[in-house]
Amino acid sequence: MLTPSIPPYILEAVIRKLLAPVIRCTPLSAPNHFVLAFDGGEMARDARPGHFVTIAAGADNGAMLRRPFSFYTVDPASGEVSVLFSVYGPTTRAMAKMKPGDRLDVIGPLGGHVFEADTHPGTHHILVGGGYGIPPLAFLSRQIKATAPNARVTVINGARTKEFLVGTEGLEEIGVEVHPSTNDGSAGYHGLVTDLLREFLHDRAAHIPVRVYTCGPTPMMRAVGEMSIAYDVPCDVSLEVFMPCGIGICMGCAVGRPDGTFARGCVDGPVFEAREVIWP
Amino acid sequence: MSAPLSQDTTPDLSVRIGALTLRTPVTTGSGTFGFGSEVADLVDLSKLGAVTVKATTSKPRAGNPPPRIVETPGGMLNAIGLQNGGIDNYLSEKLPFLRRYDCPIIVNVPGEDPEDFAYVVRRLTEAGGADAIELNISCPNVSHGLDYATDPKLTAEVVSLCRKATHLPLLAKLSPNVADIRPIAKAAEEAGADGISLINTLIGTAIDIRKRTFKLANGTGGLSGPAVKPIALLHVYRAAQVVKVPIVGMGGISNAADAIEFLLAGASAVAVGTASFVNPFAAIEIADGIADYLRQNGFGSVGEIVGAVQPLSRS
Repeated sequence: MLTPSIPPYILEAVIRKLLAPVIRCTPLSAPNHFVLAFDGGEMARDARPGHFVTIAAGADNGAMLRRPFSFYTVDPASGEVSVLFSVYGPTTRAMAKMKPGDRLDVIGPLGGHVFEADTHPGTHHILVGGGYGIPPLAFLSRQIKATAPNARVTVINGARTKEFLVGTEGLEEIGVEVHPSTNDGSAGYHGLVTDLLREFLHDRAAHIPVRVYTCGPTPMMRAVGEMSIAYDVPCDVSLEVFMPCGIGICMGCAVGRPDGTFARGCVDGPVFEAREVIWP
Repeated sequence: MSAPLSQDTTPDLSVRIGALTLRTPVTTGSGTFGFGSEVADLVDLSKLGAVTVKATTSKPRAGNPPPRIVETPGGMLNAIGLQNGGIDNYLSEKLPFLRRYDCPIIVNVPGEDPEDFAYVVRRLTEAGGADAIELNISCPNVSHGLDYATDPKLTAEVVSLCRKATHLPLLAKLSPNVADIRPIAKAAEEAGADGISLINTLIGTAIDIRKRTFKLANGTGGLSGPAVKPIALLHVYRAAQVVKVPIVGMGGISNAADAIEFLLAGASAVAVGTASFVNPFAAIEIADGIADYLRQNGFGSVGEIVGAVQPLSRS
């Protein structure tokens, strides 16, 4: 069971700005997808699932603002941390070209509210990811399994097509149930992640508590959130919003709240309870 | 010119704005450093010349719907909409935290009309809530077409009413969206401003060609970042020709060299804005860089380089 004495979201993370040595940048099977590993030092000790870093790279190509990336893998013992990304702009183009020993301008861990794994020992954890929403969920599933080896953890990983299914490597080996789903049926379930989620929520035994966690494209998260609410299951969403500063000073990453005010995606999130979110 | 100082002499970085003395000539641009508390664990606030906090209004403001910021070449457009908890919230929640740091506080004050400006100025003064006040008469996101700082008479009206409401140093933050800054800067000075902040953001927009919509929910936003620096620098230079009060120069300052350009153009101090989003330590590093420049060039104080650019034969 999870140790109730360690509610990870309460631990205060010390924010650091580093010029971190790059350890490796590994291309994935999916086109233009990479895992960039760097020496985060004590950042690795403080990082929790849902925390993110902001990276400044690609200034030569016109990038000015930092871009946020969720932690994908974290090894507190060695300090090695990684982010998973696809190339879509000047920052990620520069990151994809990084070599071991290069310095990565990085700030983290950032995020004021991260994933809080349900500490009830019998909970079935269902993690729903799509696109490049899978990295924080992979981290979360590893953490749940590390603290509660017997916990049932299901990852639903959605992609357009087989070749874009990335980020779940190594999870089945630690006892996580991985269910790929593709829009075109080229691998796993043929359909949307929400269709697969509905089957899990519909078939669940009444006495087993379920908690849903999701990260990915906004329409997908909205559908997952609304379905969880309909089934009266708690659901944490890690919002993908443009974050110009990541540290709460620019007020740019506004997230609508039910009371008509705006939260900051970076320091009031990035993880919100699905009921708290007014979807754009 | 005095004899060059030895390399280990620490130049005098202090500057005065009215009765306020800043330890270094570098403050933060309003709206780019929150209320200081957000970054206090990361950045030593006492190393800043002053913290200029986010705009504080008479009543709480929810701000504009997202998207509020888009990156543009060499800069960004913002339309935050002055999201803040209002003056009551500032005095009860933000101020006590800030006062724990040995750092002057400049509060940026927008208003819906002159009385609204003066109300917040009076509240700040009575509560000891600021060491100086920056009148935001130039925010491009909330003016509804009426920008006090595009008209010398309206500028004077707001400044003089606020002058009556406080003994604190008053800065007038002016708009770059004007053909000639000089009459407006002059009007602010004559109405009692102790200093001029230049520039606020430039109004602009960006369009998403795929969706065929404006990228910002507000439609328009304020442009900041390195792209605006040449414009800001000329406004500062021109204003410095006609006013005697100190100018706080800002607009695209990303490094010490940028800041030194503003000082040479006639600014007595500078504010670092958008650059803090990329590097929260930028303001402190820029102050260190100014000290290095003074030392390397044999200047004993920052005042010696203010306005020290060779004058233009025409401007």
